[in-house]
Amino acid sequence: MQPHLKRVIFLLGVVIVGFIFIRSMVVPASYGQYGAYRADSVNELRNFTVEYAGSKSCGDENCHKTLYSIWADSRHKTVNCETCHGPSGNHVNNVRVMPSPANDSREFCGKCHFERVARPSSFPQIDPESHGENLKCAYCHNPHKPWFV
Amino acid sequence: MNISRREFTKIGCRVIIGAAAGTAIVESIVSNGIAAEPSSTGDYDWNEHYWGYVIDTRKCIGCGRCANACKLENDVPFDEPVYRTWVERYRVLKEGEVKIDSPNGSIDGFTDDIPAEELKKAFYVPKICNHCENPPCVQVCPVGATYATNDGVVLVDYDYCIGCRYCIQGCPYGARYFNSKKGTADKCTWCYHRITKGLLPACVQACPVGARVFGDMKDPDSDVNKILDKERINVLKPDLGTKPKVYYVGLDREVK
Repeated sequence: MQPHLKRVIFLLGVVIVGFIFIRSMVVPASYGQYGAYRADSVNELRNFTVEYAGSKSCGDENCHKTLYSIWADSRHKTVNCETCHGPSGNHVNNVRVMPSPANDSREFCGKCHFERVARPSSFPQIDPESHGENLKCAYCHNPHKPWFV
Repeated sequence: MNISRREFTKIGCRVIIGAAAGTAIVESIVSNGIAAEPSSTGDYDWNEHYWGYVIDTRKCIGCGRCANACKLENDVPFDEPVYRTWVERYRVLKEGEVKIDSPNGSIDGFTDDIPAEELKKAFYVPKICNHCENPPCVQVCPVGATYATNDGVVLVDYDYCIGCRYCIQGCPYGARYFNSKKGTADKCTWCYHRITKGLLPACVQACPVGARVFGDMKDPDSDVNKILDKERINVLKPDLGTKPKVYYVGLDREVK
């Protein structure tokens, strides 16, 4: 074989090997396992911390069992504990970590119950101007077992 | 050049065999073996699920607890105007004009700044990533940092995303945002860390009126299928062919 051909073939080989070498350095190990993406990222996303532990974990035998049973029998049973009390994941994992107290302001209850035109008319709403003399809602209504007059 | 056919074939074979051998040698030195079997196939088999989401706009009261819970669950920058889910208020005025707003994504609630007498109708519409079967955001990503999983969830690889924001432009629903903390594009994951553990997404759990329903479309008895089998449903912008997996009950023609 002529020498200039050998050189071209040798150079081509170097380029191919170099490409493969760099590619294997740059492309992550799990890339392409399921598709054109890094398969490990699925696990990274799965391992994200859960903040909202769920109402069932509040009603555990040794925890807020009584309050849970009152709530579970009330008209507020569709409202999960953490919707008002905030995320409790840290508190469930370690009871010494106290969650911040629930917001008991009129404005907070009003996020659901102040009269708004866009709300379904069947949903219980009050006129904040005329109802309750600016008292905290919990002064008359038990948020865990609300009653209606 | 003077080269016989036999000669040419010989050289060609040598080059191919040499390149293949070289590849094998280099790969065996450089790569750290096949990726470890992911734990996602351990207790959770994503081929057994195909997730779906239903929003009943007739039930939504616009309290914004969903948007609030989402931000706290997923570490979304709380004080920035970016949302993985939010609630829009549609108000159709008597003269026909449509006003759409979502102050702070509904987290602070809504106030009536237009008197009821001037309105023909008003309602809330929760919005969230549609996790399209045919996602335009995945198509436009230049580095393969966003993808659809086998269980039908569109995710972002935060390590691989270069933050070019093509996907944010590509989403016809405005469901993506730029996360300034991570320096990457970000979006709703349907709380992938929760649903793969058998929990509900944070927004669904936080909804006080059951306007948001989440479930497995492969399970004929799931909450989602119960609604899909019974109600009259629609999706957002069906003409785009994105095939959204967020289904709406009671969707008004004004909603885009």
